Amino acid sequence: MLRVMSAFRGRVARRRRALYGVVVALLLVVSGCGNGSSSAGDAITLYTCVNDETVQPVIAQFESDHPDADVKLFRAPTGDLNARIAGDQRAGGLKADVVWACDPLTMQGYVDQGLVGGWVPAGAASIPERFRTADYVGVAVLYMVAIYHDGVQPPASWSDLTEATYGPVAVPDPNVAASALGALGYFDQTSEFGLDFYRKLKDQGATQLSTPDEVVSAVAQGTSPAGVTIANSAYASKDAGSPIGIVWPEPGAVAIYGPIALAQDSADSSLAKDFISYVASEPGQQVVAKGGSYPTLSGVAGPEIPADAPIVFPDWSALAAEKDSLLGRYQQIFGG
Amino acid sequence: MAARSTSLGFRAGLIVVSAAVALLVVVPVSRLGYVVWTESAGGLGQVWSRPGLARAVVNTVVLAAGVTVVAVPLGALAALALRRSDVPGRAWWRVAMVLPVLVPQFVLGYSWTQAYARAGFTDTVLGVPWPAVQGPWGVWAVLVVNTVPLAYVFAAVGLAVRAEPDLERAARASGATGLTALRSVTLPLLRPSIAAASVLSFVLTLESFAIPQVMGTPSGFTTVTTLIYRDLSLGSDPASFVEALALALLLVLLTIIVVIPADLVLGPRLRVSRVAVTEGAPVEQRGGRAGGWIAAALSSYLFLGVVLPVLALVAAALTPAVGVSPRPDHWTLDNFRLVLTARTFDALGRSAGLALVAATALTVLGVAVAVLERRRSGRILGTLVTLTLVLPGSTLAVALLITYGRWIGGTLTLILLAYLAKLWAFAHRPISGALDRLPLGELQSARASGAGPLTAARTVALRPLAPALLGAWLICVVTALHEVTMSSLLYGPGSDTFAVIVLNSQELGRIGPTAALSVLLTLFLVVPALPVWLLIRRLRTSTGATGPAAPRGVADVR
Amino acid sequence: MSADANGVPVLEIRDLTVRYGDVEAVDAVGLNVGAGEVVALLGPSGSGKSTLLHAVAGFRPPSRGEIWLQGRRVASPEKSEPPERRDVAVVFQSYALWPHLSALDTVAYPIRRRGGRRRAAREQAAELLGRLGIGDLADRRPVELSGGEQQRVGLARALARGASLYLFDEPTAHLDTHVRGVFLDELVSRREATGAGGLYATHDAEEALGLADRVALLNSGRLVQLGTPEQVYAEPVDLWAALLTGPASLVRAPVSASADDLCTLAVGGRSVVVGTTVAVPVAERAELLVRPGWARLGGDLPGRLRSTRFRGEHTDLLVETEVGEVLIRQPGPPRHAAGQRVSWTLSRVWPLAVSASGDSSGTR
Repeated sequence: MLRVMSAFRGRVARRRRALYGVVVALLLVVSGCGNGSSSAGDAITLYTCVNDETVQPVIAQFESDHPDADVKLFRAPTGDLNARIAGDQRAGGLKADVVWACDPLTMQGYVDQGLVGGWVPAGAASIPERFRTADYVGVAVLYMVAIYHDGVQPPASWSDLTEATYGPVAVPDPNVAASALGALGYFDQTSEFGLDFYRKLKDQGATQLSTPDEVVSAVAQGTSPAGVTIANSAYASKDAGSPIGIVWPEPGAVAIYGPIALAQDSADSSLAKDFISYVASEPGQQVVAKGGSYPTLSGVAGPEIPADAPIVFPDWSALAAEKDSLLGRYQQIFGG
Repeated sequence: MAARSTSLGFRAGLIVVSAAVALLVVVPVSRLGYVVWTESAGGLGQVWSRPGLARAVVNTVVLAAGVTVVAVPLGALAALALRRSDVPGRAWWRVAMVLPVLVPQFVLGYSWTQAYARAGFTDTVLGVPWPAVQGPWGVWAVLVVNTVPLAYVFAAVGLAVRAEPDLERAARASGATGLTALRSVTLPLLRPSIAAASVLSFVLTLESFAIPQVMGTPSGFTTVTTLIYRDLSLGSDPASFVEALALALLLVLLTIIVVIPADLVLGPRLRVSRVAVTEGAPVEQRGGRAGGWIAAALSSYLFLGVVLPVLALVAAALTPAVGVSPRPDHWTLDNFRLVLTARTFDALGRSAGLALVAATALTVLGVAVAVLERRRSGRILGTLVTLTLVLPGSTLAVALLITYGRWIGGTLTLILLAYLAKLWAFAHRPISGALDRLPLGELQSARASGAGPLTAARTVALRPLAPALLGAWLICVVTALHEVTMSSLLYGPGSDTFAVIVLNSQELGRIGPTAALSVLLTLFLVVPALPVWLLIRRLRTSTGATGPAAPRGVADVR
Repeated sequence: MSADANGVPVLEIRDLTVRYGDVEAVDAVGLNVGAGEVVALLGPSGSGKSTLLHAVAGFRPPSRGEIWLQGRRVASPEKSEPPERRDVAVVFQSYALWPHLSALDTVAYPIRRRGGRRRAAREQAAELLGRLGIGDLADRRPVELSGGEQQRVGLARALARGASLYLFDEPTAHLDTHVRGVFLDELVSRREATGAGGLYATHDAEEALGLADRVALLNSGRLVQLGTPEQVYAEPVDLWAALLTGPASLVRAPVSASADDLCTLAVGGRSVVVGTTVAVPVAERAELLVRPGWARLGGDLPGRLRSTRFRGEHTDLLVETEVGEVLIRQPGPPRHAAGQRVSWTLSRVWPLAVSASGDSSGTR
């Protein structure tokens, strides 16, 4: 009886061991896949929210210039990027050597937490001062412009959008899109607009969508006769055949620059510094421009931009200081 | 001897599964709590008193209740209606009822706006827009469409397991009209399944993000999940980040409030071990037009809820740019060409592999919990695994990243763990339902014939359970493939999944490529799903047993 | 026609066919049940008994033919009244007790459906449960009841319906003597004016023969034979019917002479005169049915005992004879060992493939 029992248990145990073996093997295979590409040589990790079409050619060109280098990419929308960085911080520190953000506010947040900053490449000096600080340098710009559905009277200035003819103007949500927050900051800081600009828009029936891209879709579909969105998205859609027009309204399209910065923990990584220097350099800026983003370096030709397009710049440090109260006041107009 | 080895096995299983629950659920959630506790620095009060939060919480709860209250009865009604033999083609309707599950949530929400919003399909073709689709009503409607299949499956399984036709015939033969029999016999018998479906639908709506975000935000309709998204978007400062985590914990709290009483009260009652022989409807109808009406109602539901939106999506995928009318002479495959790159296939392969591994592991884990929770000592497991289901993908991902990122950050293993944590309840609940039909007598007779517990389970229980297991497995594969949020936050070099590609295309802001990708993803799911469906149907007819979806006969065990 | 002198049967089934898809589960069956009469439907599983009952109860519409209850047509292919509007009560296979209701509420259910008030219904239900000897189980739910108790609750519920026709869908256990008594009393007493009828489906011959006034044999949906229990037992229409209704042996022997109720067989070298109930045609080789009680040990025919089986009251003996193996039932314990030579006598036979004296309407 006893022998039967132990034999039986032995069988069960063997089978169980085999099962564990399978599970462990599976896990190993899976994690092996994940770690497969790690190499001992020069490797840096880049965290960014810049879209693939811009960032992939930059990495490709940099890697072909530096055959030993390996740039590992994590690309995600700003919200996910924030979450990933916050998670990294609480799990042994930031895993990135270079962070390329889409707006200065987010980047300033990382600087304030001591994650990045403290170094800019020597070449940064040739980039306009309003696109850089001591901790990071802007390497791409988004322009907030006005668009309208074909057949609608093109607005000449931002104020035109508050006229009754436009009605349900589409605006992006500054709670979600940093570019929209930049525009909100600019209007609030400019006495001729103030938050009244948004209140008038809302009174005329403006709708708030999530992202600038959704604004483009809404105007292209005719849901909204006009909207506020970023220029590259608008031009891409127009080029594909969407029935929209684009204006750089007076007093100017709002510029939101995307800065790049070195991680504090990678202050010694020459490859990381090389990469940042490259993106800020003329060849790097040309690749950025070819990828469909507006470069910051003057003299590099970017995507379509009218000859003497007016451009305005928000005061980012002021905006950083009053972000919460500004969003609170905005919320009172656009609800939610 | 048998009793001892069973309890030994039980104890070992309990330890292993408890360890997995701790690893995947308890530790990450506690870690979140710890981070919120230590980093909020007395600011928690600020989180709770934040303007708009009360509104979002009310929205979330009302939405969850509203979806549950409508979707569950609809699903139950469909299940009841499809028992009638006079519904033409009802075998196909049973499959069709479950089809909306195959359309990813973000695709469904997006395609509804394409179909019904201003300048959408119905507007351009018929001149009939439904502007409210972008707002609370649209969110509600799409979530209902998305939840009905779930409720249908639960009700259908409940009908097969609990409402033996004879029980209803007995009522009719006692003088009850069809309606009275439904009220006094069928519905009371279905109560546990309906309650279980309600709990799951409530929790899933609490957690839903894509649909409220795509359709609700334009009109200023916020939920807790969209607030969390907002916080993370602005969250390069630690305060917003902690606030997002606190909101996620609020969702967990809401779930605990709903699920624990439900599980404690319903759990034991769900496990009535009655076994049914179903032979279709208790009372066959003929002559009336009811069957035709039912078919008409189902087809209009499916047409308006799924077919038309998906058609709109296909049209968007075929048009070169937004605002170009979807006429055949404008059709182009450019969007498909754009998204079908080598990288897409790589990522798709990786996603498929991940989904398969995850689904297989989940099926094993689901069985384990379903078996263990029948004993008093294991009862809480089923409830615990539901807690991670309600965590929005972004926060669950952050929780796992914080807990394990140090060692396995950026690997597919971490994404796999996230899938396991997120979908455990999804695998567990249908299997648990099917286990009601586990033939205890047959297991005992197998043991009495000399089979060990594992052999007995394999030879006797596996076969009748096979459809349920396959169904759970399929649900997990589908959901894991749909998954966007977690993998796009957790991926690392060489572990980018399909989701990363999808997000990338969405961010490019061009509807065409996104629609093309959605169409591809749906095809990618439907094409392999159909053979598995057929296999389940085959198994079901050959064993006479019922799967979680579209049940028919049930093994006759007394 | 049944013996009910009033003429109108409780149930009249005319040329009933019920199809599932292409399968004719019930095929052109005609059958009556008179007041106070119990008719058993006897057949193996799949013979259409349940389908026939379901059609009568109203769970399934007929594909052809008609069903009349107390002179009122309730079902035809065009129009089938729902079960609740038919005056029938059903006792189900595994009793189909509702798991969420107590015994008392279960029995009160049909009374409530008739419009009875809750209290009155419960009182009546309690009284019924008491009559069936389970008054003390009124508060229990089905899970807490034994099989026999469940059966009584199921029967009580049917009785509470006060119907003129009771249908039994193969109850898994025999009705025990007490329950049977109560039920049969009900049939005559409850509906004194007209009397109620019963239609009892079973695959158990013993139960069918012991309970019913008439027995209907079903095979593949067809009515094979209808008659009193004695008729179907003693005069089966064919071998299938014979074996369905009880143990029997088949012997083959030449028939040399035949009268109304006697015939002469040749068994081995001897001529044997045996009783019968029908004229047996003279034949070189006739197939004759022998029930266990129609032969006994002793007498002048030689044989060899093949095996014996003690069954308490009596003993079954399988005897090898010159005309084939014959099963003999003897009272008392076995007195011979297997292999022993025995002598035997044949007292009665039934020729197969000869039409029975009772026609399908039967006589009582």
